Amino acid sequence: MKIRTLAWNTFGSLLRDKLIILFLVLFACVVLLMMTPMLGAKAIKTAANAAQMQAMVLGLVAVIMSMVSGFGSLLAAWASADAVASEMKSGTILAVLARPVRRWEFLVGKFLGVMLLMAIYVLLMFGLSYLLAWMGGERIQSTPWVLLVYPMVRYAVYGAIAMLLVTLLHPVMAFGMAMLMGVLALMVVPTSLASGRFPAWLREPIYVLLPSTSLLSEDRFLTITQASLKQAGWLEHATTLAYGLDYALVFLLLAMWSFHYRSLKRD
Amino acid sequence: MTAPAIEFQNVEKVYRRRLMGQEVAALTGVSFEVSQGEVCAFLGPNGAGKTTSISLLMGFLYADSGQIRVLGFEPGDIRAKKQIGFVPENFAFYKFLNAEKLLRFHAALAGADPVLASTLIPELLAKVKLQDFHGLKIGRYSRGMVQRLGIAQALLSDPQLLVMDEPTSGLDPAGRKEVRDLISSLKAAGKTIFLSSHILSEVEQICDRVIIIDRGKLVRAGSMEELLGAGDRVEIIADRLPQELDPVLAEWGAVIERGPHGVKIALSAARKRELAERLWASGCDVISITPLKSSLEDLYLNLTAAGGSPV
Repeated sequence: MKIRTLAWNTFGSLLRDKLIILFLVLFACVVLLMMTPMLGAKAIKTAANAAQMQAMVLGLVAVIMSMVSGFGSLLAAWASADAVASEMKSGTILAVLARPVRRWEFLVGKFLGVMLLMAIYVLLMFGLSYLLAWMGGERIQSTPWVLLVYPMVRYAVYGAIAMLLVTLLHPVMAFGMAMLMGVLALMVVPTSLASGRFPAWLREPIYVLLPSTSLLSEDRFLTITQASLKQAGWLEHATTLAYGLDYALVFLLLAMWSFHYRSLKRD
Repeated sequence: MTAPAIEFQNVEKVYRRRLMGQEVAALTGVSFEVSQGEVCAFLGPNGAGKTTSISLLMGFLYADSGQIRVLGFEPGDIRAKKQIGFVPENFAFYKFLNAEKLLRFHAALAGADPVLASTLIPELLAKVKLQDFHGLKIGRYSRGMVQRLGIAQALLSDPQLLVMDEPTSGLDPAGRKEVRDLISSLKAAGKTIFLSSHILSEVEQICDRVIIIDRGKLVRAGSMEELLGAGDRVEIIADRLPQELDPVLAEWGAVIERGPHGVKIALSAARKRELAERLWASGCDVISITPLKSSLEDLYLNLTAAGGSPV
Protein backbone atom coordinates (compact mmCIF):
# COMPACT_ATOMS: atom_id res chain seq x y z
CA MET A 1 0.00 0.00 0.00
CA LYS A 2 2.75 2.46 1.01
CA ILE A 3 4.94 1.43 -1.91
CA ARG A 4 1.98 1.80 -4.29
CA THR A 5 1.23 5.26 -2.87
CA LEU A 6 4.86 6.30 -3.32
CA ALA A 7 4.98 4.86 -6.83
CA TRP A 8 1.87 6.74 -7.97
CA ASN A 9 3.11 9.95 -6.40
CA THR A 10 6.48 9.55 -8.14
CA PHE A 11 4.75 8.86 -11.44
CA GLY A 12 2.64 12.01 -10.96
CA SER A 13 5.75 14.07 -10.17
CA LEU A 14 7.62 12.75 -13.21
CA LEU A 15 4.71 13.52 -15.53
CA ARG A 16 4.93 17.12 -14.35
CA ASP A 17 8.74 17.33 -14.43
CA LYS A 18 9.48 20.28 -16.70
CA LEU A 19 12.86 18.95 -17.81
CA ILE A 20 11.42 15.58 -18.79
CA ILE A 21 8.53 17.25 -20.64
CA LEU A 22 10.96 19.55 -22.47
CA PHE A 23 13.19 16.67 -23.56
CA LEU A 24 10.22 14.55 -24.64
CA VAL A 25 8.84 17.41 -26.73
CA LEU A 26 12.24 18.08 -28.32
CA PHE A 27 12.71 14.40 -28.98
CA ALA A 28 9.26 14.11 -30.55
CA CYS A 29 10.19 17.02 -32.86
CA VAL A 30 13.42 15.28 -33.88
CA VAL A 31 11.52 12.05 -34.63
CA LEU A 32 8.94 13.97 -36.68
CA LEU A 33 11.71 15.74 -38.61
CA MET A 34 13.37 12.40 -39.31
CA MET A 35 10.10 11.06 -40.64
CA THR A 36 9.99 13.82 -43.27
CA PRO A 37 12.63 12.31 -45.64
CA MET A 38 10.93 8.97 -45.20
CA LEU A 39 7.63 10.37 -46.43
CA GLY A 40 9.50 12.17 -49.21
CA ALA A 41 11.13 8.92 -50.29
CA LYS A 42 7.73 7.27 -50.39
CA ALA A 43 6.35 10.11 -52.48
CA ILE A 44 9.03 9.84 -55.15
CA LYS A 45 8.94 6.06 -55.25
CA THR A 46 8.54 4.75 -58.80
CA ALA A 47 8.68 1.30 -60.30
CA ALA A 48 12.31 1.94 -61.28
CA ASN A 49 13.60 3.01 -57.87
CA ALA A 50 11.17 1.00 -55.70
CA ALA A 51 13.78 -1.27 -54.15
CA GLN A 52 16.16 1.62 -53.46
CA MET A 53 13.45 3.77 -51.89
CA GLN A 54 12.17 0.85 -49.82
CA ALA A 55 15.66 0.21 -48.48
CA MET A 56 15.97 3.90 -47.60
CA VAL A 57 12.61 3.92 -45.81
CA LEU A 58 13.49 0.81 -43.83
CA GLY A 59 16.90 2.23 -42.99
CA LEU A 60 15.29 5.38 -41.62
CA VAL A 61 12.79 3.34 -39.65
CA ALA A 62 15.62 1.36 -38.09
CA VAL A 63 17.51 4.55 -37.16
CA ILE A 64 14.43 6.17 -35.64
CA MET A 65 13.56 3.10 -33.63
CA SER A 66 17.07 2.66 -32.26
CA MET A 67 17.10 6.39 -31.37
CA VAL A 68 13.77 6.10 -29.58
CA SER A 69 14.94 3.00 -27.79
CA GLY A 70 18.23 4.63 -26.77
CA PHE A 71 16.46 7.76 -25.60
CA GLY A 72 14.36 5.52 -23.34
CA SER A 73 17.56 4.44 -21.57
CA LEU A 74 18.48 8.10 -21.01
CA LEU A 75 14.98 8.81 -19.73
CA ALA A 76 15.02 5.82 -17.35
CA ALA A 77 18.41 6.85 -15.91
CA TRP A 78 17.48 10.52 -15.57
CA ALA A 79 14.02 9.85 -14.11
CA SER A 80 15.48 7.48 -11.51
CA ALA A 81 18.22 9.90 -10.50
CA ASP A 82 15.84 12.84 -10.41
CA ALA A 83 13.06 11.01 -8.55
CA VAL A 84 15.30 10.59 -5.51
CA ALA A 85 17.41 13.73 -5.86
CA SER A 86 14.45 16.10 -6.22
CA GLU A 87 12.99 14.82 -2.95
CA MET A 88 16.32 15.46 -1.24
CA LYS A 89 16.65 18.90 -2.78
CA SER A 90 13.16 20.08 -1.89
CA GLY A 91 13.13 18.42 1.53
CA THR A 92 9.88 16.53 0.89
CA ILE A 93 11.77 13.36 1.76
CA LEU A 94 11.85 14.43 5.42
CA ALA A 95 8.07 14.58 5.78
CA VAL A 96 7.71 11.30 3.88
CA LEU A 97 10.31 9.38 5.87
CA ALA A 98 8.93 10.74 9.14
CA ARG A 99 5.97 8.49 8.35
CA PRO A 100 6.15 4.78 9.14
CA VAL A 101 7.92 4.14 5.86
CA ARG A 102 11.16 2.20 5.68
CA ARG A 103 13.93 3.61 3.56
CA TRP A 104 13.90 0.62 1.22
CA GLU A 105 10.14 1.03 0.77
CA PHE A 106 10.71 4.63 -0.25
CA LEU A 107 13.32 3.63 -2.81
CA VAL A 108 11.24 0.76 -4.24
CA GLY A 109 8.26 3.14 -4.51
CA LYS A 110 10.42 5.61 -6.42
CA PHE A 111 11.75 2.87 -8.69
CA LEU A 112 8.27 1.55 -9.47
CA GLY A 113 7.09 5.11 -10.20
CA VAL A 114 9.89 5.42 -12.75
CA MET A 115 8.95 2.05 -14.21
CA LEU A 116 5.35 3.25 -14.59
CA LEU A 117 6.64 6.19 -16.62
CA MET A 118 8.79 3.86 -18.68
CA ALA A 119 5.82 1.55 -19.27
CA ILE A 120 3.98 4.48 -20.87
CA TYR A 121 7.08 5.28 -22.91
CA VAL A 122 7.41 1.66 -24.06
CA LEU A 123 3.76 1.59 -25.09
CA LEU A 124 4.28 4.77 -27.13
CA MET A 125 7.44 3.29 -28.63
CA PHE A 126 5.52 0.13 -29.47
CA GLY A 127 2.82 2.18 -31.21
CA LEU A 128 5.47 4.20 -33.06
CA SER A 129 7.21 1.07 -34.34
CA TYR A 130 3.92 -0.21 -35.79
CA LEU A 131 3.17 3.24 -37.24
CA LEU A 132 6.58 3.46 -38.87
CA ALA A 133 6.31 -0.07 -40.25
CA TRP A 134 2.93 0.80 -41.71
CA MET A 135 4.28 4.03 -43.19
CA GLY A 136 7.20 2.08 -44.63
CA GLY A 137 4.73 -0.27 -46.28
CA GLU A 138 5.81 -3.26 -44.24
CA ARG A 139 4.60 -5.06 -41.18
CA ILE A 140 6.32 -5.98 -37.94
CA GLN A 141 7.46 -9.57 -37.90
CA SER A 142 8.31 -9.78 -34.22
CA THR A 143 6.11 -11.11 -31.45
CA PRO A 144 4.56 -8.03 -29.73
CA TRP A 145 5.44 -9.05 -26.16
CA VAL A 146 9.14 -9.05 -27.04
CA LEU A 147 8.91 -5.40 -28.06
CA LEU A 148 7.30 -4.57 -24.72
CA VAL A 149 9.21 -6.72 -22.25
CA TYR A 150 12.79 -6.37 -23.50
CA PRO A 151 12.91 -2.55 -23.34
CA MET A 152 11.23 -2.59 -19.94
CA VAL A 153 13.91 -4.92 -18.59
CA ARG A 154 16.65 -2.81 -20.13
CA TYR A 155 15.16 0.37 -18.68
CA ALA A 156 14.86 -1.35 -15.31
CA VAL A 157 18.62 -2.01 -15.46
CA TYR A 158 19.38 1.63 -16.29
CA GLY A 159 16.94 2.86 -13.67
CA ALA A 160 18.46 0.66 -10.97
CA ILE A 161 22.02 1.71 -11.87
CA ALA A 162 21.07 5.40 -11.73
CA MET A 163 19.24 4.85 -8.45
CA LEU A 164 22.32 3.29 -6.88
CA LEU A 165 24.55 6.08 -8.18
CA VAL A 166 22.23 8.85 -6.99
CA THR A 167 22.43 7.53 -3.42
CA LEU A 168 26.16 8.30 -3.63
CA LEU A 169 26.56 11.16 -6.10
CA HIS A 170 25.00 14.35 -7.41
CA PRO A 171 22.12 13.44 -9.80
CA VAL A 172 23.86 14.87 -12.87
CA MET A 173 26.98 12.85 -12.08
CA ALA A 174 24.85 9.78 -11.38
CA PHE A 175 23.10 10.19 -14.73
CA GLY A 176 26.41 10.76 -16.52
CA MET A 177 27.98 7.70 -14.97
CA ALA A 178 24.96 5.52 -15.77
CA MET A 179 25.21 6.64 -19.39
CA LEU A 180 28.96 6.07 -19.45
CA MET A 181 28.38 2.55 -18.18
CA GLY A 182 25.78 2.00 -20.89
CA VAL A 183 28.10 3.24 -23.65
CA LEU A 184 31.04 1.23 -22.32
CA ALA A 185 28.85 -1.87 -22.17
CA LEU A 186 28.00 -1.43 -25.84
CA MET A 187 31.63 -0.80 -26.80
CA VAL A 188 33.06 -3.93 -25.20
CA VAL A 189 30.61 -6.35 -26.80
CA PRO A 190 32.79 -8.72 -28.90
CA THR A 191 30.74 -7.99 -32.04
CA SER A 192 31.22 -4.22 -31.62
CA LEU A 193 33.69 -2.47 -33.92
CA ALA A 194 35.01 -0.46 -30.95
CA SER A 195 35.83 -3.51 -28.86
CA GLY A 196 39.19 -3.87 -30.61
CA ARG A 197 40.30 -0.54 -29.11
CA PHE A 198 40.33 -2.01 -25.62
CA PRO A 199 43.09 -4.33 -24.47
CA ALA A 200 41.75 -7.77 -23.59
CA TRP A 201 42.65 -7.43 -19.88
CA LEU A 202 40.36 -4.36 -19.70
CA ARG A 203 37.66 -5.37 -22.16
CA GLU A 204 36.86 -8.73 -20.62
CA PRO A 205 36.25 -7.59 -17.03
CA ILE A 206 34.15 -4.66 -18.28
CA TYR A 207 32.18 -7.02 -20.50
CA VAL A 208 31.50 -9.34 -17.59
CA LEU A 209 30.74 -6.61 -15.04
CA LEU A 210 28.59 -4.21 -17.01
CA PRO A 211 25.10 -5.14 -18.15
CA SER A 212 24.93 -6.34 -21.71
CA THR A 213 22.35 -3.90 -22.95
CA SER A 214 22.84 -5.08 -26.51
CA LEU A 215 21.75 -8.53 -25.41
CA LEU A 216 18.68 -6.96 -23.84
CA SER A 217 17.92 -4.86 -26.88
CA GLU A 218 14.60 -5.47 -28.56
CA ASP A 219 16.33 -4.43 -31.80
CA ARG A 220 17.52 -8.02 -32.04
CA PHE A 221 13.93 -9.04 -32.56
CA LEU A 222 12.47 -5.95 -34.18
CA THR A 223 12.51 -7.03 -37.78
CA ILE A 224 10.19 -5.27 -40.12
CA THR A 225 11.41 -6.62 -43.41
CA GLN A 226 9.45 -9.36 -45.07
CA ALA A 227 12.40 -11.69 -44.72
CA SER A 228 11.79 -14.60 -42.43
CA LEU A 229 12.86 -13.91 -38.87
CA LYS A 230 15.05 -16.18 -36.84
CA GLN A 231 12.82 -17.08 -33.93
CA ALA A 232 14.35 -17.18 -30.46
CA GLY A 233 13.29 -20.05 -28.26
CA TRP A 234 11.56 -19.59 -24.90
CA LEU A 235 14.68 -20.73 -23.09
CA GLU A 236 16.73 -18.02 -24.78
CA HIS A 237 14.15 -15.37 -23.91
CA ALA A 238 13.89 -16.63 -20.34
CA THR A 239 17.62 -16.67 -19.69
CA THR A 240 18.20 -13.29 -21.36
CA LEU A 241 15.39 -11.60 -19.42
CA ALA A 242 16.42 -13.31 -16.17
CA TYR A 243 19.93 -11.97 -16.76
CA GLY A 244 18.56 -8.43 -17.15
CA LEU A 245 16.20 -8.68 -14.20
CA ASP A 246 18.95 -10.15 -12.05
CA TYR A 247 21.16 -7.22 -12.95
CA ALA A 248 18.43 -4.71 -12.10
CA LEU A 249 17.70 -6.48 -8.82
CA VAL A 250 21.34 -6.53 -7.75
CA PHE A 251 21.69 -2.79 -8.43
CA LEU A 252 18.41 -2.04 -6.69
CA LEU A 253 19.50 -4.02 -3.63
CA LEU A 254 22.82 -2.18 -3.62
CA ALA A 255 20.90 1.11 -3.89
CA MET A 256 18.72 0.13 -0.90
CA TRP A 257 21.79 -0.77 1.14
CA SER A 258 23.55 2.48 0.24
CA PHE A 259 20.41 4.55 0.87
CA HIS A 260 19.88 2.92 4.27
CA TYR A 261 23.14 4.40 5.55
CA ARG A 262 22.83 7.74 3.80
CA SER A 263 22.32 10.94 5.76
CA LEU A 264 19.00 12.52 4.86
CA LYS A 265 18.84 16.26 4.87
CA ARG A 266 17.70 19.01 2.60
CA ASP A 267 20.44 19.46 -0.04
CA MET B 1 7.56 4.16 35.76
CA THR B 2 7.02 4.94 32.07
CA ALA B 3 10.02 5.20 29.78
CA PRO B 4 10.97 8.72 28.65
CA ALA B 5 9.48 9.80 25.34
CA ILE B 6 12.92 10.95 24.19
CA GLU B 7 16.26 9.92 25.59
CA PHE B 8 19.67 11.15 24.44
CA GLN B 9 22.69 9.59 26.15
CA ASN B 10 26.09 11.04 25.46
CA VAL B 11 25.28 11.58 21.79
CA GLU B 12 28.03 12.70 19.45
CA LYS B 13 27.74 13.67 15.81
CA VAL B 14 30.52 14.89 13.56
CA TYR B 15 29.99 16.10 10.00
CA ARG B 16 32.83 15.00 7.81
CA ARG B 17 33.92 16.17 4.39
CA ARG B 18 36.14 13.29 3.51
CA LEU B 19 37.51 14.77 0.29
CA MET B 20 38.50 18.02 1.98
CA GLY B 21 39.51 16.41 5.27
CA GLN B 22 37.22 18.73 7.23
CA GLU B 23 35.39 17.75 10.40
CA VAL B 24 32.78 19.76 12.26
CA ALA B 25 31.52 18.53 15.62
CA ALA B 26 27.77 19.14 15.52
CA LEU B 27 26.98 17.48 18.86
CA THR B 28 29.35 16.64 21.68
CA GLY B 29 28.25 14.41 24.55
CA VAL B 30 24.63 15.59 24.56
CA SER B 31 22.40 13.88 27.13
CA PHE B 32 18.85 14.73 28.06
CA GLU B 33 15.44 13.19 28.59
CA VAL B 34 11.93 14.31 27.79
CA SER B 35 9.21 12.63 29.84
CA GLN B 36 5.91 11.53 28.39
CA GLY B 37 3.22 14.20 28.50
CA GLU B 38 5.71 17.07 28.69
CA VAL B 39 5.91 20.09 26.44
CA CYS B 40 9.63 20.56 26.04
CA ALA B 41 11.34 23.46 24.31
CA PHE B 42 14.63 22.81 22.55
CA LEU B 43 16.51 26.07 22.33
CA GLY B 44 19.81 27.26 20.96
CA PRO B 45 21.26 29.80 18.56
CA ASN B 46 21.54 29.06 14.84
CA GLY B 47 24.11 26.33 14.27
CA ALA B 48 23.86 25.09 17.85
CA GLY B 49 22.86 21.59 16.76
CA LYS B 50 19.07 21.71 17.14
CA THR B 51 18.22 20.50 13.64
CA THR B 52 20.97 17.88 13.85
CA SER B 53 19.47 16.61 17.11
CA ILE B 54 15.98 16.51 15.61
CA SER B 55 17.32 14.75 12.50
CA LEU B 56 19.00 12.14 14.73
CA LEU B 57 15.79 11.75 16.69
CA MET B 58 13.78 11.18 13.51
CA GLY B 59 16.33 8.72 12.11
CA PHE B 60 17.38 10.96 9.21
CA LEU B 61 20.97 11.00 10.45
CA TYR B 62 22.99 8.47 12.43
CA ALA B 63 24.87 9.39 15.60
CA ASP B 64 28.60 8.63 15.70
CA SER B 65 28.31 7.48 19.31
CA GLY B 66 25.91 7.50 22.21
CA GLN B 67 22.39 6.19 22.43
CA ILE B 68 19.06 7.66 21.40
CA ARG B 69 15.66 6.16 22.22
CA VAL B 70 12.35 7.53 20.99
CA LEU B 71 9.24 6.14 22.69
CA GLY B 72 11.41 3.20 23.71
CA PHE B 73 12.65 2.41 20.19
CA GLU B 74 15.67 3.20 18.06
CA PRO B 75 15.27 6.35 15.94
CA GLY B 76 13.77 5.50 12.56
CA ASP B 77 12.09 2.38 13.94
CA ILE B 78 8.75 2.04 12.19
CA ARG B 79 6.99 1.33 15.53
CA ALA B 80 8.19 4.67 16.87
CA LYS B 81 7.38 6.53 13.65
CA LYS B 82 3.77 5.29 13.83
CA GLN B 83 3.41 7.36 17.01
CA ILE B 84 5.31 10.47 15.91
CA GLY B 85 3.99 13.55 14.16
CA PHE B 86 6.75 15.65 12.63
CA VAL B 87 6.61 19.29 11.57
CA PRO B 88 9.87 20.02 9.73
CA GLU B 89 11.33 23.51 9.62
CA ASN B 90 10.02 25.03 6.35
CA PHE B 91 7.66 22.17 5.57
CA ALA B 92 8.28 21.05 1.96
CA PHE B 93 5.47 19.74 -0.20
CA TYR B 94 4.56 18.46 -3.64
CA LYS B 95 3.50 21.62 -5.45
CA PHE B 96 1.24 19.79 -7.85
CA LEU B 97 -1.00 18.48 -5.07
CA ASN B 98 -3.70 20.34 -3.19
CA ALA B 99 -4.03 20.20 0.59
CA GLU B 100 -6.59 17.40 0.55
CA LYS B 101 -4.54 15.22 -1.80
CA LEU B 102 -1.36 15.84 0.18
CA LEU B 103 -3.08 14.80 3.40
CA ARG B 104 -4.50 11.71 1.66
CA PHE B 105 -0.98 10.85 0.50
CA HIS B 106 0.38 11.20 4.05
CA ALA B 107 -2.58 9.30 5.49
CA ALA B 108 -1.87 6.41 3.10
CA LEU B 109 1.80 6.42 4.16
CA ALA B 110 0.73 6.44 7.80
CA GLY B 111 -1.38 3.37 7.08
CA ALA B 112 -4.63 5.16 7.96
CA ASP B 113 -7.95 3.66 6.94
CA PRO B 114 -9.02 5.58 3.79
CA VAL B 115 -12.60 5.88 5.08
CA LEU B 116 -11.43 7.31 8.40
CA ALA B 117 -8.97 9.56 6.58
CA SER B 118 -11.74 11.02 4.44
CA THR B 119 -13.57 12.19 7.57
CA LEU B 120 -10.45 13.23 9.44
CA ILE B 121 -8.92 15.33 6.66
CA PRO B 122 -11.69 17.97 6.48
CA GLU B 123 -11.60 18.21 10.30
CA LEU B 124 -7.86 18.78 10.31
CA LEU B 125 -8.08 21.35 7.52
CA ALA B 126 -10.74 23.18 9.51
CA LYS B 127 -8.54 22.98 12.62
CA VAL B 128 -5.71 24.77 10.84
CA LYS B 129 -8.13 27.12 9.05
CA LEU B 130 -7.42 25.82 5.53
CA GLN B 131 -10.87 24.39 4.82
CA ASP B 132 -11.59 27.09 2.25
CA PHE B 133 -8.36 26.38 0.35
CA HIS B 134 -8.46 22.57 0.25
CA GLY B 135 -8.72 22.50 -3.55
CA LEU B 136 -6.01 25.08 -4.22
CA LYS B 137 -2.63 23.78 -5.42
CA ILE B 138 -0.13 24.02 -2.56
CA GLY B 139 2.31 25.77 -4.86
CA ARG B 140 0.02 28.81 -4.59
CA TYR B 141 -0.10 28.81 -0.77
CA SER B 142 1.54 31.51 1.33
CA ARG B 143 4.31 30.50 3.73
CA GLY B 144 1.95 30.67 6.69
CA MET B 145 -0.59 28.45 4.93
CA VAL B 146 2.11 25.89 4.15
CA GLN B 147 3.17 25.94 7.79
CA ARG B 148 -0.43 25.29 8.89
CA LEU B 149 -0.64 22.43 6.42
CA GLY B 150 2.58 21.03 7.88
CA ILE B 151 0.96 21.04 11.30
CA ALA B 152 -2.18 19.37 9.92
CA GLN B 153 -0.16 16.55 8.36
CA ALA B 154 1.69 16.01 11.63
CA LEU B 155 -1.63 15.50 13.44
CA LEU B 156 -2.95 12.99 10.90
CA SER B 157 -2.14 9.82 12.78
CA ASP B 158 -3.12 11.10 16.25
CA PRO B 159 0.54 10.98 17.33
CA GLN B 160 1.74 10.35 20.87
CA LEU B 161 4.83 12.49 20.29
CA LEU B 162 4.94 15.67 18.24
CA VAL B 163 8.33 16.88 17.06
CA MET B 164 8.05 20.46 15.83
CA ASP B 165 10.94 22.36 14.31
CA GLU B 166 10.03 26.08 14.35
CA PRO B 167 6.27 25.46 14.08
CA THR B 168 5.30 29.12 14.25
CA SER B 169 7.80 30.48 11.75
CA GLY B 170 5.97 32.24 8.93
CA LEU B 171 2.78 32.66 10.92
CA ASP B 172 1.13 35.97 11.78
CA PRO B 173 0.35 36.79 15.44
CA ALA B 174 -3.14 35.28 15.17
CA GLY B 175 -1.69 32.13 13.60
CA ARG B 176 0.90 31.91 16.35
CA LYS B 177 -1.76 32.15 19.00
CA GLU B 178 -3.72 29.38 17.28
CA VAL B 179 -0.65 27.15 17.29
CA ARG B 180 -0.06 27.93 20.97
CA ASP B 181 -3.67 27.03 21.72
CA LEU B 182 -3.32 23.87 19.68
CA ILE B 183 -0.20 22.86 21.60
CA SER B 184 -2.00 23.55 24.88
CA SER B 185 -4.93 21.35 23.82
CA LEU B 186 -2.53 18.59 22.75
CA LYS B 187 -0.78 18.86 26.10
CA ALA B 188 -4.14 18.56 27.85
CA ALA B 189 -4.75 15.40 25.81
CA GLY B 190 -1.53 13.95 27.26
CA LYS B 191 0.64 14.26 24.15
CA THR B 192 4.38 14.83 24.38
CA ILE B 193 5.63 17.82 22.43
CA PHE B 194 9.26 18.47 21.57
CA LEU B 195 9.49 21.92 20.15
CA SER B 196 12.33 23.93 18.67
CA SER B 197 11.71 27.67 18.54
CA HIS B 198 13.42 31.04 18.61
CA ILE B 199 10.35 32.80 19.98
CA LEU B 200 11.19 32.65 23.65
CA SER B 201 8.11 34.47 24.92
CA GLU B 202 5.96 31.73 23.36
CA VAL B 203 8.14 29.01 24.78
CA GLU B 204 7.81 30.56 28.23
CA GLN B 205 4.03 30.51 27.91
CA ILE B 206 3.52 26.94 26.75
CA CYS B 207 6.46 24.77 27.76
CA ASP B 208 7.01 22.77 30.96
CA ARG B 209 10.64 22.12 30.35
CA VAL B 210 13.54 23.69 28.50
CA ILE B 211 16.69 22.23 27.00
CA ILE B 212 19.31 24.72 25.80
CA ILE B 213 22.21 23.73 23.59
CA ASP B 214 24.99 25.83 22.18
CA ARG B 215 27.79 24.90 19.81
CA GLY B 216 26.81 21.24 20.01
CA LYS B 217 26.88 21.03 23.79
CA LEU B 218 24.06 20.93 26.30
CA VAL B 219 24.26 24.05 28.43
CA ARG B 220 21.15 23.74 30.57
CA ALA B 221 18.12 21.49 30.95
CA GLY B 222 15.37 21.67 33.49
CA SER B 223 11.82 22.60 34.26
CA MET B 224 10.75 26.14 33.54
CA GLU B 225 10.49 26.85 37.27
CA GLU B 226 13.96 25.50 37.98
CA LEU B 227 15.52 27.53 35.22
CA LEU B 228 13.72 30.77 35.81
CA GLY B 229 14.25 30.52 39.56
CA ALA B 230 10.67 31.18 40.66
CA GLY B 231 10.65 31.92 44.40
CA ASP B 232 14.38 32.68 44.74
CA ARG B 233 13.86 36.41 44.88
CA VAL B 234 10.91 38.64 45.70
CA GLU B 235 10.00 42.21 45.08
CA ILE B 236 8.55 44.20 47.97
CA ILE B 237 6.80 47.46 47.25
CA ALA B 238 6.43 49.81 50.21
CA ASP B 239 5.16 53.40 50.45
CA ARG B 240 8.56 54.53 51.80
CA LEU B 241 11.87 53.21 53.12
CA PRO B 242 13.50 54.59 56.31
CA GLN B 243 17.18 55.61 55.81
CA GLU B 244 18.34 53.37 58.71
CA LEU B 245 17.37 50.26 56.72
CA ASP B 246 19.67 51.11 53.78
CA PRO B 247 22.85 49.57 55.23
CA VAL B 248 20.97 46.43 56.25
CA LEU B 249 19.53 46.04 52.77
CA ALA B 250 22.94 46.63 51.20
CA GLU B 251 24.32 43.84 53.38
CA TRP B 252 21.51 41.50 52.22
CA GLY B 253 22.27 42.24 48.57
CA ALA B 254 18.91 43.91 47.94
CA VAL B 255 18.32 46.22 45.00
CA ILE B 256 16.45 49.41 45.87
CA GLU B 257 14.54 51.50 43.37
CA ARG B 258 12.92 54.67 44.71
CA GLY B 259 10.04 56.19 42.73
CA PRO B 260 7.38 58.88 43.15
CA HIS B 261 4.77 56.35 44.33
CA GLY B 262 6.92 54.25 46.63
CA VAL B 263 9.98 52.08 46.87
CA LYS B 264 10.68 48.76 45.14
CA ILE B 265 13.05 46.43 46.97
CA ALA B 266 14.24 43.24 45.27
CA LEU B 267 15.86 40.77 47.64
CA SER B 268 16.27 37.11 48.54
CA ALA B 269 12.97 35.39 49.33
CA ALA B 270 14.51 34.15 52.61
CA ARG B 271 14.63 37.75 53.90
CA LYS B 272 11.14 38.85 52.83
CA ARG B 273 9.42 38.22 56.17
CA GLU B 274 12.18 39.97 58.17
CA LEU B 275 12.09 43.03 55.92
CA ALA B 276 8.30 43.19 55.96
CA GLU B 277 8.31 43.11 59.77
CA ARG B 278 10.98 45.84 59.96
CA LEU B 279 8.98 47.99 57.54
CA TRP B 280 5.81 47.57 59.58
CA ALA B 281 7.74 48.26 62.80
CA SER B 282 8.98 51.53 61.23
CA GLY B 283 5.40 52.53 60.41
CA CYS B 284 5.71 51.90 56.66
CA ASP B 285 2.96 50.40 54.56
CA VAL B 286 3.85 47.21 52.60
CA ILE B 287 1.86 47.44 49.38
CA SER B 288 2.83 44.13 47.75
CA ILE B 289 5.20 41.17 47.93
CA THR B 290 5.70 39.45 44.52
CA PRO B 291 7.96 36.50 43.57
CA LEU B 292 10.51 37.59 40.97
CA LYS B 293 11.27 35.48 37.89
CA SER B 294 14.03 36.11 35.42
CA SER B 295 12.79 35.89 31.83
CA LEU B 296 13.69 32.98 29.58
CA GLU B 297 15.26 35.47 27.21
CA ASP B 298 17.65 36.69 29.94
CA LEU B 299 18.59 33.14 30.81
CA TYR B 300 19.03 32.16 27.17
CA LEU B 301 21.22 35.14 26.38
CA ASN B 302 23.33 34.51 29.47
CA LEU B 303 23.83 30.86 28.65
CA THR B 304 24.46 30.96 24.94
CA ALA B 305 26.99 32.57 22.70
CA ALA B 306 24.10 34.62 21.29
CA GLY B 307 24.36 36.68 24.45
CA GLY B 308 27.98 37.43 23.79
CA SER B 309 29.40 35.44 26.70
CA PRO B 310 30.87 32.08 25.84
CA VAL B 311 29.75 29.20 28.06
